[in-house]
Amino acid sequence: METRALGDTGQESTVLTFGSIALNWLEQEGANQLVELVLDHGVNHFDVAPTYGDAELKLGPKLRQYREEVFLGCKTQEREYEGAAQKIDRSLNRLGIDTIDLYQIHGLEYEAELDTITADGGALDAIREAKAAGKIDHIGLTSHGNPQLIIDAIDRIDDLETVMFPLNPVVAGKDGDEYDYEAVLERCESEGIGTLGIKAFAKGSWPPTDELAEADRPYANWYEPVDTPEAIRERFDFAAAQSLDTVVSPGDPKLVKMVLDAASRSEGMDEARQRALIEEARHDDSPVPEQLHH
Amino acid sequence: MTGDVPETVTAALADQQVAGQVCLEAGAGVGNTTAGLLTAGAKRVYAVTNDADHAATVRDRVGDGNADRLAVVTADLRATPLATDSVDLVTAHGLCNVLPPADLNAVAAELARVARPDSHLVVDDYAVPPASAAVTRLFALENAAARVVDGRPALTFYPAGVLAAMFADHGWAIERRKTLLDPVPWTEAHIEAHSDVVREYADELPDVVGEPLATMADNLVSAIGSERAGTMYSLAFRLADR
Repeated sequence: METRALGDTGQESTVLTFGSIALNWLEQEGANQLVELVLDHGVNHFDVAPTYGDAELKLGPKLRQYREEVFLGCKTQEREYEGAAQKIDRSLNRLGIDTIDLYQIHGLEYEAELDTITADGGALDAIREAKAAGKIDHIGLTSHGNPQLIIDAIDRIDDLETVMFPLNPVVAGKDGDEYDYEAVLERCESEGIGTLGIKAFAKGSWPPTDELAEADRPYANWYEPVDTPEAIRERFDFAAAQSLDTVVSPGDPKLVKMVLDAASRSEGMDEARQRALIEEARHDDSPVPEQLHH
Repeated sequence: MTGDVPETVTAALADQQVAGQVCLEAGAGVGNTTAGLLTAGAKRVYAVTNDADHAATVRDRVGDGNADRLAVVTADLRATPLATDSVDLVTAHGLCNVLPPADLNAVAAELARVARPDSHLVVDDYAVPPASAAVTRLFALENAAARVVDGRPALTFYPAGVLAAMFADHGWAIERRKTLLDPVPWTEAHIEAHSDVVREYADELPDVVGEPLATMADNLVSAIGSERAGTMYSLAFRLADR
């Protein structure tokens, strides 16, 4: 599988990162098999979080067995020193390892959170302290939020080395600053910050729960995913063509094998096809009437 | 606000000087390229269309805040009210496929008349869709209905080489060709819009002819749904010699 430099971290990550939340839905034996399958496809970057149920615990055994082969990203939703320090130790403990390669401030949504994180006594103090103590190697950020907020974070956190954010043809086709993740990509490229793409396989929101109860959803994802080999290959190729360093696999284990195949066999995607996917996604909910043409 | 600009328009204009230029959007449609030209900093855009509904749509969509830069002109593209040698950049995005062969030459001549020496022209259009594509049946129905009502086709798909040669005859030297879409995503919204055209023609015919046409359109909409077929290309020219 193709590898790309993860910004200036020195890490060469596979173009697919394994979203280890998928392990949460499996018994330990199944989790072990899935990790083996992922490693068999050459994937060398895993991502996990303490909020993903038992994913850290289930990743632990195989992670320890193959520790040298895996670059591990973990995260915290804590915003203050105390909570973040505890979460780092808790994750190290649950994973059963000494060092997390990339530790990310998780799910940044509001400017006020950024104030708290970067203030004295904020989560960043704990993360930097852990880095000095050798518990983590690199500092990152994840956000589904406003691209400008991510850029503010890059401005305010000098030692930020990676960011993780959504990118797919639906997002890419929307105008307006609230969808301008391209600006984030450009900024990261100019500063040597690594980029990880999420929601690459999102088709849309789940139907309202009065139409489809949560318990009746066929996939464990937060969103309704694309789920055919062709659509998955197309979505992977699109995301990988957006100059992301790596694309995170979807959270449902049933989709992981198809995504591994897509990433293993990827031959890139030319611009005319990228535009076709964007236009296809854009047109069906366009406010402009009477569209004979593209 | 200039509204959403399609990727096709952004890609076609990416290598063109738009900022500060006087532009003519030939066949303004719903204003996609007009929006793109204004977003890219055009000094002035003449959005020319022969369709009063389209003119109103363009004004609604991009008129606000652009009063000093946008002029929506309702005119026949074979004889516009624009002055000779007055335009720096001409765009024809998805125009030629709605021009019958008999009109194409006169439109090309008019575009060359209003363009300054050394000005540029961008022509974006669809290659002939594959005969096996389901949309081809819908386009054929659209053309059959148009011929019965107007005596001319609604749609003509010109190969890129044909348009390149035709514009060259009017002094436009081709500078580049690129593929904008491959494949072309004919979404449900597009299929519906094309079947609406069939229904509009059908309404003008006696029921005995019109109703079967409308039914065929409905059946094709159900049968096609959406389809990816064919390609869309972009040609860029410089006015070298007239």
